[in-house]
Amino acid sequence: MKANWVVVLMPPFLVCMTLLFGTQFVFLQLGFFRDLGIGQVGDEFELFNYMRAFTEPFFLNALKLNFTLAIAVVAITLIVAYPIAYIVARMNSKWAIVFLTAMVVSSFVSIVIKVLGIIIIFGANGPVNRFLMWTGVVDEQILVIGTKSGVIMGLTHLGIAFMVMMLFSVIQSIPRSLEEAAEIHGASRWRVFWRVVIPLSMPGVVSASLLLFNIAMGAFVSAVLLGGGKVMTLPIVIQRTILLYTEYGMAAALSGMLMLFVFAVNILSVIVVTRMPSARFAVT
Amino acid sequence: MTGWQVTIGGALSGIRAGLAAWLGRTHFSKVLRRLGSIIWMTLGYTFIFSPIIVVAGSSFDGSSLDLRGNSAFLNFPPQNFTFEWYTRISASLYNALWISFSMASIAAACGIVLGVPAALALIRGNFPGRIILGTLFRAPLQIPFIVIGLAFLQAYYEVGSLIGLQLRATFAGLVIGHVFVSTPYVVGAVGAVLQRFDLSLEEAALSLGASRWRTFTRVTLPIIMPGVLAGGIYAFLVSFGDVTISLFLTGPNISPLPVEIFFALDREFDPTIPAMATIVIVGSGLLLYVIQRLVGIDILLRGGGNG
Repeated sequence: MKANWVVVLMPPFLVCMTLLFGTQFVFLQLGFFRDLGIGQVGDEFELFNYMRAFTEPFFLNALKLNFTLAIAVVAITLIVAYPIAYIVARMNSKWAIVFLTAMVVSSFVSIVIKVLGIIIIFGANGPVNRFLMWTGVVDEQILVIGTKSGVIMGLTHLGIAFMVMMLFSVIQSIPRSLEEAAEIHGASRWRVFWRVVIPLSMPGVVSASLLLFNIAMGAFVSAVLLGGGKVMTLPIVIQRTILLYTEYGMAAALSGMLMLFVFAVNILSVIVVTRMPSARFAVT
Repeated sequence: MTGWQVTIGGALSGIRAGLAAWLGRTHFSKVLRRLGSIIWMTLGYTFIFSPIIVVAGSSFDGSSLDLRGNSAFLNFPPQNFTFEWYTRISASLYNALWISFSMASIAAACGIVLGVPAALALIRGNFPGRIILGTLFRAPLQIPFIVIGLAFLQAYYEVGSLIGLQLRATFAGLVIGHVFVSTPYVVGAVGAVLQRFDLSLEEAALSLGASRWRTFTRVTLPIIMPGVLAGGIYAFLVSFGDVTISLFLTGPNISPLPVEIFFALDREFDPTIPAMATIVIVGSGLLLYVIQRLVGIDILLRGGGNG
């Protein structure tokens, strides 16, 4: 007896696809019509908005800044999170649960609350500035809020818990016996780490990094609050296009550009990774 | 190599050799590794938890209580310990908390109702295009949240002008937007459990004469329950903490708590916000404790996936 899975799938499929294609179509098609002001768009199908998005330096710089920030976030997160994930994956499982639970606890807290904490910590009168002034390391308060470093810090906060949880399961699935075998044959711990652990975890690292990259490219809350209106990433430009100029067509074209770019980066990295010799070895 | 590099390199290897001779070589590198691990873990976890601790701590800061108005900022570590901010939390913030909670609960429940059958069909079914369909179900997580928010806003305008159904700035409109991002979490978590599922258990139940429905409720459901719970909890958390999608779908009196906190931080700081945030942090801690007591926290560590 076989269940008719197509019938089971139909209701959720119809609901989800209506929500997906319905909303995305209504919004993204606006990108092909010229804005007439006060939220109205013209009738003629044209690529005017996309031409603007891909040629005007303001929009291109926003995309470039967005990309740079996302890459920085992924890189810093990897450097911090990989050793933590490795240490946790190789410790006594009783303790590993405690450390992983701590990461879950931190991911339970909304990003706005974390941003609030970062604003208090790095505020002009916050503990970091008071400590630095007290020790005399700096003469003037250093301002992190309203700079790129502030935005990167906020996103790194989000990323580390996520990355540790993803990498933990990747590293844990690498049998410890492989490391022991390399060590018995005379490899130093460092060599084992660089030549065995890192190559074997590469596919997992890449997919986790891509997920974080996608999140960072679309990041809005920390970019607004920690960038203080001075770090103009693409999501902020999109929001302003709507809020200040009510240009829905332009906003739709910029959204299209953002998604196309993210999509292209994902495709490219998958192609590059599958061609890497270590990936083939690791997958099998 | 230049001269100073050789000098430093030589000095370092000298120190290293000296220490190694003193401790014994293997012992030395072990101690060094352990020390490095401890420092790295301490720094990492301090970094992760500092904002949470600072928010909770500064909510008790009373040093600016005597200042008029809300322009005061809070200090950490707190001075002049006070509970005053907690008593000053406005009714509208409590209303926002309630909206967030009910919205996230309903969105997670709908996510489960839609996601469980979808995951079952996608993993167990044997029809063409399953991989593409699975990708489509996961698609909402690939779209930046700001695009989702704007797209739902536009779609609600369109629905409003076409059939007169007003969804913008309503509770229902908010929930629908959140169901959209909740479902993929449930599909993912249940799918992960199903892939490890032993089909023969179901076959045994069926061959022993159990009906399909009975097999589902007595065999399948208990096995996929950890996945359902993990997916539901993650869906709840994403919806409960979300600002970006809600930002475009809110209206007066229908504004979730994170959006209220966002506005308070973007415009004028309100010193009761850390107090409210602390209540939410404690509430999340309690939720986690309940999960731990009822089913064990490890369901969230396996196959959950966190966006």
